[in-house]
Amino acid sequence: MRETRNKWFSIWRWAALAGLALLVLFLPIPVNATTPVERTFHIQASQFAYSPAVLSVNPGDRVTIELLATDVVHGLSIDGYNLETTADPGQAARLTFVADRQGSFRFRCTVTCGNMHPFMIGKLQVGRNDLLWRGALLAGLVLIAGIWGLRK
Amino acid sequence: MRKEWLARIIVIFLVVAAVAIPVGAWWLRSRGIVIHAQMAETGGWMPESLTVEVGQPLHLRLTSDDVMHSFAVGQSNQPPVDVIPGEMTDVTLTFDRPGKYTFYCTRWCSVNHWRMRGTIEVTGPETTAEAVKPPLYVTLGMDIDAEHHAEVIPNQMPSVARGAKLGVSIPTEYQSQEYYLSHSPVELWKALREESSLSRLSDQDLWDLVALTWQSNTTPQDLKQGQQLFGTNCAACHGEAGAGDGVFANDLEQPKTGDHTDMQTGEMTMRPTDFTDPEHLLAASPAHLQGKILRGGMGTGMPYWGPIFTEEQTWALVAYLWTFQFEMEDLP
Amino acid sequence: MNKVQEVFWKEEASLVEGGATLQKRLASQKRINLYLILWIRPLLQSRWPQFLVRALTLAGFVFTIAAGLFGSRVGSHNFAIIFVWIAWWTALKLAFIPLGGRSWCSVCPIPLPGEWMQQRGILEKGGQRFGLSLRWPKRLKGSWLQSSGFLLIGLFSAVTLTDARVTAWVLLSLFGLAVGLSLVFERRAFCSYICPIGGFTGIYAKTAPVEVRVIDTVICATHSEKTCYQNCPWGLYPLALRDSAQCGLCMECLRSCPKDNIAVNVRPFGSDVGQPHHSSRPDEAILALVMLGSALAFSAVFIGPWGILKSAAFAIGSPAWLLYGLGFLALNLLVMPGAFTLAVWAGQGWSGSKTQLRRAVANQAQVLLPLGLFAWIAFTISFAFPKMNYVLSVLSDPLGWGWNLLGTANTAWSPDVSGFSPILQVAILLVGLFWSASIAHRLAQTTNQPPLRQTLPILAFCLVFSLAMLWLMVG
Repeated sequence: MRETRNKWFSIWRWAALAGLALLVLFLPIPVNATTPVERTFHIQASQFAYSPAVLSVNPGDRVTIELLATDVVHGLSIDGYNLETTADPGQAARLTFVADRQGSFRFRCTVTCGNMHPFMIGKLQVGRNDLLWRGALLAGLVLIAGIWGLRK
Repeated sequence: MRKEWLARIIVIFLVVAAVAIPVGAWWLRSRGIVIHAQMAETGGWMPESLTVEVGQPLHLRLTSDDVMHSFAVGQSNQPPVDVIPGEMTDVTLTFDRPGKYTFYCTRWCSVNHWRMRGTIEVTGPETTAEAVKPPLYVTLGMDIDAEHHAEVIPNQMPSVARGAKLGVSIPTEYQSQEYYLSHSPVELWKALREESSLSRLSDQDLWDLVALTWQSNTTPQDLKQGQQLFGTNCAACHGEAGAGDGVFANDLEQPKTGDHTDMQTGEMTMRPTDFTDPEHLLAASPAHLQGKILRGGMGTGMPYWGPIFTEEQTWALVAYLWTFQFEMEDLP
Repeated sequence: MNKVQEVFWKEEASLVEGGATLQKRLASQKRINLYLILWIRPLLQSRWPQFLVRALTLAGFVFTIAAGLFGSRVGSHNFAIIFVWIAWWTALKLAFIPLGGRSWCSVCPIPLPGEWMQQRGILEKGGQRFGLSLRWPKRLKGSWLQSSGFLLIGLFSAVTLTDARVTAWVLLSLFGLAVGLSLVFERRAFCSYICPIGGFTGIYAKTAPVEVRVIDTVICATHSEKTCYQNCPWGLYPLALRDSAQCGLCMECLRSCPKDNIAVNVRPFGSDVGQPHHSSRPDEAILALVMLGSALAFSAVFIGPWGILKSAAFAIGSPAWLLYGLGFLALNLLVMPGAFTLAVWAGQGWSGSKTQLRRAVANQAQVLLPLGLFAWIAFTISFAFPKMNYVLSVLSDPLGWGWNLLGTANTAWSPDVSGFSPILQVAILLVGLFWSASIAHRLAQTTNQPPLRQTLPILAFCLVFSLAMLWLMVG
């Protein structure tokens, strides 16, 4: 009797955990509606950093990035937005787009500008980073699963 | 034992192949001309002097070892070719006249980018020696290094549109191109101020007329070309808005302590000129500006563009510089 | 064919003779012996297949060094940089280690010339061993030198990973070191004690699904010559092998055993960890912690948006770099070990365990293995996937001289990995965390103390590390 009750309890708690995990993964969290504004960022690109390197905008904002190269030719391309531009020193380049995708996107240099060029990276944060939050919550659940699981 | 020898042969063959490919390719490659581009501070063009006979094609393979460069030949129709890091670009040049040509980098690659130049010596039967025309400032006997200040400056930026609306025509001697080339705006203004026929006009009105006159000596195409030349060659130091605040301005202002980036020349450099300063620019004549552009600055770090720009290009650039002082309508 | 049947016959015989324990062991072990599979056996038994692969990797290695020394200085167009730090590194972290343990060591070209000199032959051994064949000093045994080597690479990583010449010189130095050590010390001394790659490959091999083990210990008891030990270039005694960390999967023991008593087993993941017999070594604990710290540091420097860190890491010799170096070493030698020791101490105290702290830390460190392995896999994905297109283009133009051997020199496409890559990284980090948590719990259950009390602080440590990696990767 005790064994079947334990077994039932075990199944129940695993189902609960799985359900919680699915919730964390797929529950759509409403986006805080903010009025879209126009934002302009003047990014100075030098070997091998962008300044500022972290841009924060709200979803729906119309973002203009003015890229100013300060030493050699640099580029900027945003992962996930499929946008790219190149700037020579003395000639600013402009990129305008609507930040319709939410999350955290890295932008990288697209013109070889020296040794550390592949690591010339900045971050565009559009609204809330759902992947990070969901991942963090899942980490907690995964920890619990690890403690419970794999009994031998 | 046979197996052992077979194994040894395989190893030797593979290792030799692994070494032979780069070495063989390097040997083959050295039969052509490969130019490596690096920032001026680390070597510039390597090699930087080439020789070719007149009429013979010169095949060049260009690659960059560090950052993006570009290759162009001064005072020629050869369009600039990007020299991309890690990639090879092929260029074939043919010269129909002997002489010394300068090739240079056209994409800013460091504060010393403009020093990245090389020469191509084109040998051949000497044609009739062309007399080299001295630049205008030399003919006029101008001292382009002298201090120049405009004693009078306008209250607001002179506008060509306002000048045109006045519906006044100035004496013809001031409308000629020769006058334009050899006189500064403030000199024209002072001359107009002396004119009795214009005495009813305000100081600002006269400045607008000066702007109008200046604009009449150029064309929209020239202004466009000038703008493009300025953007590519000048804006990095002088700033996109001409205010002497380009990305390299601070580097040039550094006092020489001996361990500066400009170690190549040991030359003094100065903050680039602010073209939006009326006191300075309005006291310079186009010939003066052309001279500065051609010859460069002595002890200022201003590059010399003589071997690079054609005369037409230089005048177009000078014409564009006036847009920092005058509101000239025809700019795109 | 005969040998296979012979083995089966032998096993049957052992069972009859009272191998009840053997029967139990075989049944509970869940192993599949690859050596018994008909088409695999000749590949392992003959020296030719492994030799050919190693000859190719040797040629590739030589070519890589040549490309690094003579090719274009632009990293993205140089075979050396792309193949060492993108292609091979990804293969190592995503395939060789998680799926094969120390499988790279079985095909690595670095020790080859040394080995050939030692055994006076390439395929077949000559007579007497060449070289001094000294014993490796006892004080230098273990993975201390390997941890130090890895930290050293970390200090100079910004330049090594991006400069083709430096990469070539590093490879050349490792090569020279391996050959030199082979002439002085016995066996694969470089691989066992110096190679930084070997260090972490070894500890992660404990979680991998491949092992080489003896089949029937009774047979070994009656065999006095111990040819397996004589022929093992790693100095291991297969009978005593409990742990795959030191075994380089070279298969020499397999080939030399006259009784065919050695197996290459496919086994469940994580078989060497969480077991009561696991040997807890402090040097392995430090290495596991160093791997965690380096994962954090490398993620911050190479994938983060902090230009000041990158400049500091790159400007070798400058005060900024010294600061970066100090920070890097402090993180790996003070912060990570300190925090982990604290967690173990708290767990021990809370659960009333009487184990000595040093032993407890060394023992609990095996929990960190999946965490580190998967953190490095996630980092490699983040680091290498956006640059995968260079692999194709560098195959056509390895030296950056404008060639186009395979027509792929202009593959400028950069796959838009932003879609699945971050999700993949998160998933991988979570798998590592899950696995580490289950090992921690499994370990704690082998003691008499309340398991949750002992593991909770350690799990907290793992969770904090995972959250930090999450933030660095996708934050």
